[in-house]
Amino acid sequence: MNESPASLLEDHPIVACVGSGGVGKTTLSAALALGAARRGANALVLTIDPAKRLADAMGQGALGAEPRALEKDTLGELGITTGSLSAMMLDTKRTFDDLVRRFARDGVTRDRIFANPIYQHVSDALAGSSEYSAMEKVDELVASGSFDVIVLDTPPSQHAMDFLEAPERLVGLVDSRIARHLVHPAMSAGRMGLRLLQRGTEPIFRLIERISGMGFLEDLAEFLLLFEELSEGFRARADHVRELLFGGTTAFVLAAGAGRGQVEQAIGLAERLDDLGARTRGVILNRLHLCSEPLDDWLDATDAWDALGPALIHQGLEPGLGPAATETARHCVESYALRVRRDAVRTEPLVQWAEGSGAFVRRVPELPRDVHDLATLCHIESVVFDPTLT
Amino acid sequence: MAQPLSHSAPPRPLLERRLIVVTGKGGTGKTTVTAALAWGAASRGLRVCVVETGRDEEVPGLFGEAEPPVGYEGRWLDCGANVMKMEPYAALAEYLQLQLRIPGLVTRLLDQPSFHALLDAAPGWRELITLGKVWHLLQPPQSSDDHIDLLIVDAPATGHGLTFLDVPRVVVSAVRAGPLQRHASWVEDMVRDPTRTLLLPVTLPEELPVRETLELVARARAEVGIAIDRVVINATEPDPLPPELPDLAQRLAALPTSPVGLPAPSTLAHCVAHRHARASLQREAIAELRAGTDLPFVALPRLDIDADGPAALNTLATALQRPVEPLR
Repeated sequence: MNESPASLLEDHPIVACVGSGGVGKTTLSAALALGAARRGANALVLTIDPAKRLADAMGQGALGAEPRALEKDTLGELGITTGSLSAMMLDTKRTFDDLVRRFARDGVTRDRIFANPIYQHVSDALAGSSEYSAMEKVDELVASGSFDVIVLDTPPSQHAMDFLEAPERLVGLVDSRIARHLVHPAMSAGRMGLRLLQRGTEPIFRLIERISGMGFLEDLAEFLLLFEELSEGFRARADHVRELLFGGTTAFVLAAGAGRGQVEQAIGLAERLDDLGARTRGVILNRLHLCSEPLDDWLDATDAWDALGPALIHQGLEPGLGPAATETARHCVESYALRVRRDAVRTEPLVQWAEGSGAFVRRVPELPRDVHDLATLCHIESVVFDPTLT
Repeated sequence: MAQPLSHSAPPRPLLERRLIVVTGKGGTGKTTVTAALAWGAASRGLRVCVVETGRDEEVPGLFGEAEPPVGYEGRWLDCGANVMKMEPYAALAEYLQLQLRIPGLVTRLLDQPSFHALLDAAPGWRELITLGKVWHLLQPPQSSDDHIDLLIVDAPATGHGLTFLDVPRVVVSAVRAGPLQRHASWVEDMVRDPTRTLLLPVTLPEELPVRETLELVARARAEVGIAIDRVVINATEPDPLPPELPDLAQRLAALPTSPVGLPAPSTLAHCVAHRHARASLQREAIAELRAGTDLPFVALPRLDIDADGPAALNTLATALQRPVEPLR
């Protein structure tokens, strides 16, 4: 049986929506979660994109760092009676601090970590740190058992990989040889004092210090030493997250638009996911110009266009406006036809790729309005779940 | 901290800066704007260099010169612009070489798996080394052959773009005295110097990109302190409906049949209504931009770069260089 958005959401606790920037991942994630709710699931959509767009799409104003459920009445108006739909945004800073609080042995360790300049540097919204903590929250939410399915909106593709690999990298740092060299001499001496950092013994440290200055390595050593205590927790967490993402729990859906280069980026992303052992189960082509009739055939039908003005005049249009009406209509059909053709040509390689790998393909039309209310979101949902509507 | 920019005087011409950082939400056309700026600067005889920070080289392809890849070394293209692709590891090697001055040591350091593990886990170094390379490229060269008048960075998309520019400030505050801290502070000074550096936000005439751009402008001024003197609105289109035909779509939909050889009335109506609706959205988005910022904006027409190549770049370059009027 062919896979569909409905079966994916039914069979997987996590559905991750990946794609490059500006293709509408946030909107599509919300539409997927809405469809799951309509099918009776308790669904959550979680955005980790730094831009605060999901709130708009959900028509809910500001979203918080805890799941917030749509009112039953609101869902009822959308025809959703059994399932539920919640949304949340990830507060990365808070989650990272929570992680430290959770894994730190005691208050002294925790406070020293919070006071360490490197920790502040790592956690203080520097590039990459939001990715470190994102999967932690996802794991926590899955473990809570409050939701049947979590739809994950991910950062744009270049950062999506950081996001997916982040837990590994954090463990990689704590586990790395440099960390052991920096930290363990102090540990084995049985003292916490960083004076014991044996930086004189390793040429590599002398090199780094020539550039970074002494203080940096001391701060780094302290950071690693303190984090060492947390590393068991992190390591278990990273294994768990790897299993969550790539062990069959998570289904990946690729979102793409027909903009310049977007299809190539999407295919590149799918291939990298493949390398990580994650098969892309579906492709949603967003904001396409679609038309049920082939428009190209009419573009050169000058005589036929010439007959349009009189036909409109016959229907009551002021006679003087006939030529302008014809010209405008023709211009609009032409420019729309060009877009339909361009979108089809640009997305073709991705459609072929999807067919070759057994992923479903859905096409969402470009709408004459922006998506910031639930009615429009429902429209997108209906197209995603029922391709005959496109 | 950031000073609010005064708009009593018209903004200086774009190309008088040394460094233009182009940013915007994904899909707004940052790379196209970067290419058009470089194209225009080169055709005016400026020695211009483009730094691409994305995963793939895109600008040479827009110039029709995709092969061979320009790589980290960069290459002067036939259009007169130099394009290089940022490679953080290569930039780091270059930096370390300059600092340590002993080739063997640098190789040894970079070959250490543990050093790589440290780098992989350390956030921010890629951004810092990228900006450091930019800073380095703008220093007075050893020979006049290497002189660069204008450097254009195709920066990461909005959210990460600002983080990118903020890294030097964070490093200056996180790292104690030493060469790294000193160098980061030079880079920070470059980013915050309004006489040398400009952040050029690119948006689309759509609601969400505009809203994100307004957030970007506010945060760039408050947090990063980088100068912004205009916003580029890319891919604008005129409303196809003449004012005397406001209800054309409805009239078309009401036709019993189309003339023989034309699409069905509903299809005709759909095309007209769609184009008109998108134009209305565009008007609303531009109004929101106007209401939300004191910055003037530059509107670029929607063009098909793939189909029209250099002609389209010329049009965009001309529009970008047109003087902008202060809004107030």
